[in-house]
Amino acid sequence: MSLLRYTLRRIAQAIPVLIGIVTITFFLANQIPGDPVDIMLGPTPAQEQVEAIRAQYGLDRPIHERYLTYLAGVATGDLGLSIYYDRPVLEMILLRLPVTLLLMLSAFAFAIVTAIPLGVISAKRRNEPADHVSRIVSLIGVSTPSFWIGLVLIIVFAFHLGWFPARGLVLPWENPADVRGAATQFEVIRQSVHHLFLPMIGLGTLQMAQITRIERSSMVDSLQGEYVKLARAYGVPESTIVRKHAFQVAQLPVITIIGLGLSTALGGAVLTETVFEIQGMGRLIITAINNQDYQLIMGTTLVFGFVYVIGVIITDITYSYLDPRVTYGDD
Amino acid sequence: MSINSATSDDDTPDGDDESGGGPGEVEARVGLRYTLKQVRQDTTARIGTYIVGFITFVAAFAAFDYYVLDYAIAEALLYNPEADPQNVRRLLPPVGLENQFGQGVIEHPLGTDHRGRDILSRTIYGTRIAMTVGFLATAIGLGGGTVIGAVSGYYGGWIDDVLQRVTETIYAIPFLVLVIAFMTAFGRDLTFAMIGVGITAVPVFNRLIRSRVVSIREEDYVEAARAAGVKDRNIIFRHIIPNSFAPVLVQATLQVGVSILIVAGLSFLGFGAQPPTPSWGQMLSASRGYMLPAPTFSIFPGIAILITVIGFNILGDGLQDALDPRINN
Repeated sequence: MSLLRYTLRRIAQAIPVLIGIVTITFFLANQIPGDPVDIMLGPTPAQEQVEAIRAQYGLDRPIHERYLTYLAGVATGDLGLSIYYDRPVLEMILLRLPVTLLLMLSAFAFAIVTAIPLGVISAKRRNEPADHVSRIVSLIGVSTPSFWIGLVLIIVFAFHLGWFPARGLVLPWENPADVRGAATQFEVIRQSVHHLFLPMIGLGTLQMAQITRIERSSMVDSLQGEYVKLARAYGVPESTIVRKHAFQVAQLPVITIIGLGLSTALGGAVLTETVFEIQGMGRLIITAINNQDYQLIMGTTLVFGFVYVIGVIITDITYSYLDPRVTYGDD
Repeated sequence: MSINSATSDDDTPDGDDESGGGPGEVEARVGLRYTLKQVRQDTTARIGTYIVGFITFVAAFAAFDYYVLDYAIAEALLYNPEADPQNVRRLLPPVGLENQFGQGVIEHPLGTDHRGRDILSRTIYGTRIAMTVGFLATAIGLGGGTVIGAVSGYYGGWIDDVLQRVTETIYAIPFLVLVIAFMTAFGRDLTFAMIGVGITAVPVFNRLIRSRVVSIREEDYVEAARAAGVKDRNIIFRHIIPNSFAPVLVQATLQVGVSILIVAGLSFLGFGAQPPTPSWGQMLSASRGYMLPAPTFSIFPGIAILITVIGFNILGDGLQDALDPRINN
């Protein structure tokens, strides 16, 4: 089976999961106590007004009918209207999703760039001081709440040293005219990197620690492999063995852990956005909940799920592309 | 002692060893006595036990003081200004910064919060909540995951398909978001935080138990039990599950730490423990408004979370090494 067919099959397999996500989200949102219409219209609304709003948002129809309508809507990209913002939910999400994706991508970039050398050094110098340091760092990393790292970073690097801004985010593709103190696009990008630095570390530390742990154990296994022993026997230099033979095979479990880490990182993004007051998907879902905005709660929850599923598909495909042993066969 | 409470359920069929084909080494690797012996020999596991033991002791102290003595010890050792609203001194720094020049030398070793409450005593009280939540959420995940995983793996077929698709779907929503949605629907307090976090742990244990069951199902002694007419339910609960003791114990230990982290995050967002209940996440949330005048207010509850979760992670790693037959000689 070709890579393309494998990709298509993997996407087809995801469809029931996506329908499942819509179902769970829909029924959870319908359990929410309180009536959104009451919140919109205040304590003593006119009866006709209530009925008009109910009809407008489809709240007067039975639940199974609403479910099917919603499912059909999701399939065509219609996530309904946000009661609080009075705009289409999809529009709100498309406005916020790039912010969260930018945050996530930078966090994973930070994690991968720092974790892989740490893990490799740790494995190469097993039980030496460098290994102990790297293991302690990664142990602390997996045990620290990301939002607390954010708070500490703000206190030290924003308030005391004044090196980085404590809140907000400038997007690199924003128009220079809309960004204060930026005349050119380059200036906008510079400001964006400056703003992104602390949130990136706050969100990325957990991923960094997890990837370091896997990288280390995977490299330790790989360095004990038969082919490595053979290469050594042939007199291949140790650095070449590490770089060419052991390293590539050892990356497969790392890709798996990155895929699994997406779930934690998406949840972590909600917290990081709160700490740094970044207007992304995380803040959007919290705003939606605080205003009992049904449609927006459903929309944001299922987009979180969709992003995760798509991320896992991408890591699966990367895995099968890199692993020579995968035959794309039936399993 | 925390190990006991987490595993006492699985401990009962300890004597099942002889039901195997022979009293082999692998069969002996189940049960509590073996675990304790291994833990004593493994340095990492021992350090983890000390930290978790210490945290459990602190939590027990807080629970005792709360339920039995009505804040008597906390008030005697660490002045509790809530009982004396006239004397509220706000945002005192910890001893060692400027506090020693005031009156708060012994009373507020870590300073006070924005309402003049002692940070150390609130941090100690936070331990009680964190430990309760960590253990109960894990127990819910373990219970649900074990039943679903065992049934799924043992029967296979369409039951397996249906159960696995459902847990897969639960797993497909980032767990913090799922718990937030769940709590919005059912309730914002700590009980629902615990249940919600427990539900997100179900797929983890389900996967673990299911894979064990599928591999053990074909073992000779299970075949023999089935041939001898032992009921399916008894085979699952008396033979298969006890044989999965070691990996489940490791996973459960790590899961307690994960649950504490998630619940702290939830409380930070305003889901979970509600004020004035002293929980670490909620203390950190309150500290956000005072990061400039009182940075230490944000530091200590975080360190408490860090130490607790590190304890469970070290213990989990240590147990893994101690109970892994490949590592033992």
